[in-house]
Amino acid sequence: MNHPGPLLLAHGVGSQHDLPISPFYAFAGAFAALFVSFLALGLLWSTSRFRGDRSGLALPAAVQRAADAPAVRLVLRGYGLAAALFVVLHLVLGPDDPDRNPAAGSVYVLFWVGLVPASLLLGPVWRLLNPLRTVHRLIQYALHRAVPGAVHKERSPLGLRPAAGGLFAFTWLELAAPEPASRTTLLVFLGCYTVLQLAAAARYGEGWFARGDAFEVYSTLIARLSPWGRRRDGRLVLRNALHGLDATEPTPGLVAVVCVMLGSTAYDGFSDAPSWISTVQTSPLGRTTTATLGLCGAIALVAALYALCAGATRLLGRAEHPLVDFAHSLVPIALGYLVAHYFTLLTTEGPRTLALAAGSEHPVAPEPPLSPGGLAVLQVVAIVTGHVLGVVAAHDRSVRLFPPSKAVAGQLPMLALMIAYTLGGLTLLIA
Amino acid sequence: MNAGRAGVRTTYGGARGVLVAVLALVLLSGCGGRPTTHHKPGTGHEAASGPVGELLETTDEAGHRLRQLPRADAPSAELTVRPDSEDGWNLKVSASRFRFTPDSVGGAAIAGRGHAHLYVDDRKVARVYGSWHHLPGSAVPRGTHRITVRLYADDHTVWAVGGKAVQATAEVTASSGGSGRGHSGGHHDGDNKGKEDDKDKDTSKDKDKDKAPVDRTVKIAVRDGEVDPAPGRIEVKKGERIRLEVTSDRADTLHVHGYDREAELPAGRSATLAFTADRTGLFEVETHESGLLLTQLAVR
Repeated sequence: MNHPGPLLLAHGVGSQHDLPISPFYAFAGAFAALFVSFLALGLLWSTSRFRGDRSGLALPAAVQRAADAPAVRLVLRGYGLAAALFVVLHLVLGPDDPDRNPAAGSVYVLFWVGLVPASLLLGPVWRLLNPLRTVHRLIQYALHRAVPGAVHKERSPLGLRPAAGGLFAFTWLELAAPEPASRTTLLVFLGCYTVLQLAAAARYGEGWFARGDAFEVYSTLIARLSPWGRRRDGRLVLRNALHGLDATEPTPGLVAVVCVMLGSTAYDGFSDAPSWISTVQTSPLGRTTTATLGLCGAIALVAALYALCAGATRLLGRAEHPLVDFAHSLVPIALGYLVAHYFTLLTTEGPRTLALAAGSEHPVAPEPPLSPGGLAVLQVVAIVTGHVLGVVAAHDRSVRLFPPSKAVAGQLPMLALMIAYTLGGLTLLIA
Repeated sequence: MNAGRAGVRTTYGGARGVLVAVLALVLLSGCGGRPTTHHKPGTGHEAASGPVGELLETTDEAGHRLRQLPRADAPSAELTVRPDSEDGWNLKVSASRFRFTPDSVGGAAIAGRGHAHLYVDDRKVARVYGSWHHLPGSAVPRGTHRITVRLYADDHTVWAVGGKAVQATAEVTASSGGSGRGHSGGHHDGDNKGKEDDKDKDTSKDKDKDKAPVDRTVKIAVRDGEVDPAPGRIEVKKGERIRLEVTSDRADTLHVHGYDREAELPAGRSATLAFTADRTGLFEVETHESGLLLTQLAVR
């Protein structure tokens, strides 16, 4: 029998949720966030310091040669393709039971959640592993004998919006679909996604993936906070994560991607609350519709707050494009949410899925590595750290964009927005 | 997975049943001929094929054959239900052309004599030896249920007319307040004995633990896809013993996530599941078929 409903397996897999944290931790976190926010207004630098992709300490040439070596890239592509084949074969041939089939855990935990720490620690790894890129190259090679990437095609006019749509589709699958962990659901989603991506890549060339593939965009955005990066001159560098974050391109659709990231993670936290579960399972609209409305509502709320704040920034600071100019500063806040919500899932279900993939039957998920108190500290620290990084990034951006007379007033709406997001995130941890 | 597991369990139960039956047969035949017992002639347990009425091939749920009488000679029954001021209901069985004969039960069938069986929905709850009977609230799960009284002859054949058993029905509605006490009554019911044994065997290593005193009992009812009380969070200290008493109006499986404990929920009856909350975390208690969240256990 399949596991029922999306509610009970909010991540498609996993049997345990994090305990709500005690209000003490939440209040401590909220106080810290407010304190840092106003301190930042008064004490932080008054001329922009972040230099984006011009900054960084170059790594030794040998390291760069090794990282850029075609053999290394080929091995990584092969590894990505093999992992994808492993998942697809398990989906096609394996049992329809997430307790015995590692496919669902591989998609929802190892891949989706694991992408966060992997990108944070190693950089935009999915770009190197993405099996769709590999398949696209193979197709191009078979059809035209063309050297991959040599054909320059026009850029998609949609910017990052397709990626935002893809992220929404995936989070809907995870959080609101009727049976997120069933083989059919996953096969249909992965099949449709692959076909759409390959068709778009055929139209726009391989460059499509960097802007249109939801997971590459997701991984690349998180990798903005990684200590590794590539300088404008192409050198691999070790750099301050805030400089890396500042290098985020203001591509159209960036706001949508960030809002989907924040909104879906917030909905995930919210959907564990018994009151919401009760609403969903008694709603006359049916569960899937209600859950979908909840997910859309969470994303819409995040987006509406952002739009409101961008409007206020425009009024106060006369910025040209406040909507997209500050979007990068929400990435650390989204990352804080992600760490707070998915740490336990990755550390318990991750090893279980690996054991399952290695062939052991009915492996038991290990105990969570942190005690409830330790976990609460980690969650609050993650959210507050995300907030602080966001505030600093937005501050630097506003002193660069606004004339000195407007700099303090101009960043007030953004500060208010971040405080709202952070208090919201902390409230979700209590609920 | 769970259905599969439950299926296997049932199969074992069935196999055990067959084994017991075969053993019993071997023992019986091994003794050579019918054992002589304290039964007087004509008072054995077997259905007397005597001259009273006509034995039909149809049987009731328990395998008792129907004994048909001409309409003019057949008994008839009426059932009246009155709520009791203390607990449950008082039932009055008005039977015409029929007399309760508890002192000759097990004997041969004699027209117009015998006893009655009492059913809540399709579950036998009692044998009735007189026109008045008290039905305790604990025997009826929450909600509206059908009470049936059926007339039996002394040899446990069912009195029947026109191919149908002579019986009367009435409906009772158990509210959470009045008869909510002791919803677990059905748990120790005789009909369920085989299942209980299976369950005990299934978790034999936990058997003694299951008998340990519980620190907290949580009662939950599921009706028409609604959970009562509405899903909430129960704060539990690590190491506490929890007993869940769940009544569902549909047959279902109860599942405690994280601890991976399961119990069958027979339709309309309460089932209990006891375990020690020895892992911290937030765990969901749900039903598998209907996919409802019943409650969350916050174990700290």
